[in-house]
Amino acid sequence: MSDRLKIFLLLLPAMSVIILLFFGGLLIGLMRSFNYMPVIGLTEPNFDAYIAVFTDEEFYLSFMLSLHISVTSTLISCVLAVGAALLLRRAFIGRAIINFLFQLNLTVPHLVGAIGILYLFSQSGTFARLAAEADLITRPADFPALVFDPFAIGIILQYVWKEVPFIGVIVLANMQSLGENYESVARSLGASRWQAFRHVLLPLIFPGLLSASVIVFAFTFGAYEIPALLGANYPAALPVLAYRKYTDVDLAARPEAMALALMIAVLSVVMLFFYIRYSRRKVRS
Amino acid sequence: MINQDGVWTRWFRYLTCLVLVVWLIMPLIPLAIWSFARGWFFPDILPRQWTMQAWEYALSETAGVLDSLWLTIGISLSATALSILVGVPAGRALGMYKFKGKEVVELMILAPTIVPGIAVVLGIHSVFISLGLTNTVQGVILVHLIPTLPYMTLVMAGIFSNYDPAFEAQARSLGASPLKTFWYVTLPAIMPGIIVGGLFAFLVSWSQYILTLMIGGGRVVTLPLLLFNFATSGRNDITGAIGMIYILPGIFILLLTAKQLSGRSGAVGGFGRI
Amino acid sequence: MTNVSIQNLTKVYPGADTPALDRLSLEIASGELTALLGPSGCGKTTTMKMIAGLLDPTSGDVRFNDRSILREKPESRGVVMVFQNYLLFPYMSVADNVGFGLKMRKVDPDEIKRRVGEMLDLVKLPDLGDRKPSALSGGQQQRVALARALIVEPEVLLLDEPLSNLDAHLRFEMRDLIRTLQQEMGITTIFVTHDQEEAVVLADRVALILDGQMKQYDQADAFYKRPIDEATARFFGGHNFIPGTSQDGKFASALGPLGLPDGAMTGAGKLTFRPENVCIGHTRGDQNNLTATLDDIIYLGTQTRLKIRIGDTAVEAVVNPNDVESYSIGDQVPIHLPVGTLWVIS
Repeated sequence: MSDRLKIFLLLLPAMSVIILLFFGGLLIGLMRSFNYMPVIGLTEPNFDAYIAVFTDEEFYLSFMLSLHISVTSTLISCVLAVGAALLLRRAFIGRAIINFLFQLNLTVPHLVGAIGILYLFSQSGTFARLAAEADLITRPADFPALVFDPFAIGIILQYVWKEVPFIGVIVLANMQSLGENYESVARSLGASRWQAFRHVLLPLIFPGLLSASVIVFAFTFGAYEIPALLGANYPAALPVLAYRKYTDVDLAARPEAMALALMIAVLSVVMLFFYIRYSRRKVRS
Repeated sequence: MINQDGVWTRWFRYLTCLVLVVWLIMPLIPLAIWSFARGWFFPDILPRQWTMQAWEYALSETAGVLDSLWLTIGISLSATALSILVGVPAGRALGMYKFKGKEVVELMILAPTIVPGIAVVLGIHSVFISLGLTNTVQGVILVHLIPTLPYMTLVMAGIFSNYDPAFEAQARSLGASPLKTFWYVTLPAIMPGIIVGGLFAFLVSWSQYILTLMIGGGRVVTLPLLLFNFATSGRNDITGAIGMIYILPGIFILLLTAKQLSGRSGAVGGFGRI
Repeated sequence: MTNVSIQNLTKVYPGADTPALDRLSLEIASGELTALLGPSGCGKTTTMKMIAGLLDPTSGDVRFNDRSILREKPESRGVVMVFQNYLLFPYMSVADNVGFGLKMRKVDPDEIKRRVGEMLDLVKLPDLGDRKPSALSGGQQQRVALARALIVEPEVLLLDEPLSNLDAHLRFEMRDLIRTLQQEMGITTIFVTHDQEEAVVLADRVALILDGQMKQYDQADAFYKRPIDEATARFFGGHNFIPGTSQDGKFASALGPLGLPDGAMTGAGKLTFRPENVCIGHTRGDQNNLTATLDDIIYLGTQTRLKIRIGDTAVEAVVNPNDVESYSIGDQVPIHLPVGTLWVIS
């Protein structure tokens, strides 16, 4: 059997799944967003759904909200994750516990964390009660709104909680395979600890950090259940808006939902593009 | 090693450590406490009354929680098994061969890890309706393949790229049939990858929400869906119990494979490519 | 101009039973090129890291010009280390790599450019400033690493296995370059190696470290002519250790009485002589002439290794192939052991 045939057969099942389910789903969604579905008699594509979406203020608010959530969560998680990785690089008492907790965190689904955040930070939650205990507030309403709020603080907190270990584990593995010798060289040439980190280590871990960030960004932009649980009703995050429109009694909203879904897809493809560009710059140390 | 730490650095390190530990465990604590609470109202720091009521309910026959648990386990195991069946050969192709268009194929397989489920599932839903796959367990398993397959494939590609096909040639020259070669030579060598990839795939399927919600149509009620419903219903105690049940398999898996995950096996390296 | 004094330097790693380095003491003069030689795990890299400040010693001291440097941070000690795999910063150009130390010291950018240019000329890489390290060959990368280290005019330069990654023909080139630069700039240099040839070819003096202990610190030829003990002699490829007694300038053993050079120790000990110093096929003078049986002849191209037997004592010799062309296994051959090549160890 020739190699080419072998490769084809090996890839066939996986590619069928990906092409049929994944790309097929995207394609169908694209077509229906244009109201084009010959199979059920819609033979005239139109831009109605897109016009409706782009003239709707709610869309822009939702889009900006989702963007804000993603950018903020990703940035904060990156900074904290790098810090955590620097901390965990070297052996010390308690490192095993933290490593274990990091890995534990990876297995806890987002939804559970979200509920936990809800119970901690809602106006009648744990922190509110602690504040009451300290006589800082008297009623739940006095506690600042951290969930269901316009700044999506609760949502961002939840994402940061989950993504710091995710990015941290990747960055840590990266740092450990690089070793500390590059920084030793920099230090011996006169660089301070901070300079060695900024000029030498950071550029070296940047590709891995970027790859992880892209995944986190795309995820936080397109996830449904966390903003559904912790988010305000208006504006809602973009995926929540899309779901709402799709399950709307008014079937005319469906193509709009597809349009929204496609836009989420487009944004993540843009992210994918960044990932490809930077992951090509691999470092062999 | 860059110098031992000074005193300040050591204290800073311990403090950060402590903060990290607390922060990592923190969200899980209220859930746990709620599951044992009997009415826990503002401004009580701890419940005034403790009870096993929530747990009794959750573990009872009628509540459907256990049914949901088995259903979710079943779906995730099936999705994982399918991912393994499909992902191992694909991983072999990507890990051991160079061919024209390989980068495109890799990209296509990678795409579902970045494109969020909601972008895809709406389109799939309309097709599945006509195929009669909506509101079915099979439909849900199928759609779970979308996020699980890429992880499985990429981990296996990592394993296979460190794998020397000469072993198989050696076995064949010693008289082993292709099947025996696979069973005795290939499989043991790639098993770490199958385990690590399988675990990731399981966890990915385990935490799926929107895919199950859309395709299952509210009829296929996996644990996350059940959990969400209770969370929004205000029954925090039952939510707590279900939440605790929901994270158990993940912890179990972690303990089983703590070694595999922390070792420098090629499997982790494969995942590190993501 | 810095002299380095290592005093009773000891390192015990946590959890280890024996010290990785046990009371190493060494005086290195200013401007000297010294080799720390020893097999892997002997403690030489540990020593180097302690001098560089990358590792703290368990006890002992390291002094530069009589000033203890142990308290100082790595970046202010004036010690620059060049690692075996060079560790050029992959994201910076060659020029940026070389200028890195100056940039950290906040030297004026024009000044940096000028000095980088000078340095690259000095290491014979004048036009490669804009390239990235990955575009360079191994030899070129090493020169860049050297340039990067020398440009900051360190008090002490540490080199980790400088020649081991290079092909044979590049080694001599690099050896010349290192020696030339080092002597011109007068920088006290210490390098670490497991290859005795590398040590001998590059260093002014060699410190042999075995199992965490320093055995001998001497010029290269001393290790061949006057090894301090059997382990040392063996490390340098010595064979032929014959027990006996040394007295009044003569060594008594199963080989019969043999004349010894001046300075050889007296008392019970082992006679040692190197295989390449055994003269085959003729006698000379009136002492140290013996007859041996040829047990085995192993032709090695540029040399021939002989296993010979004098009485019951097995001896190894290495000779020019021409010298034994006419002999075959089993023959009796006259041999001569020149007095100056014999030594006695305890």
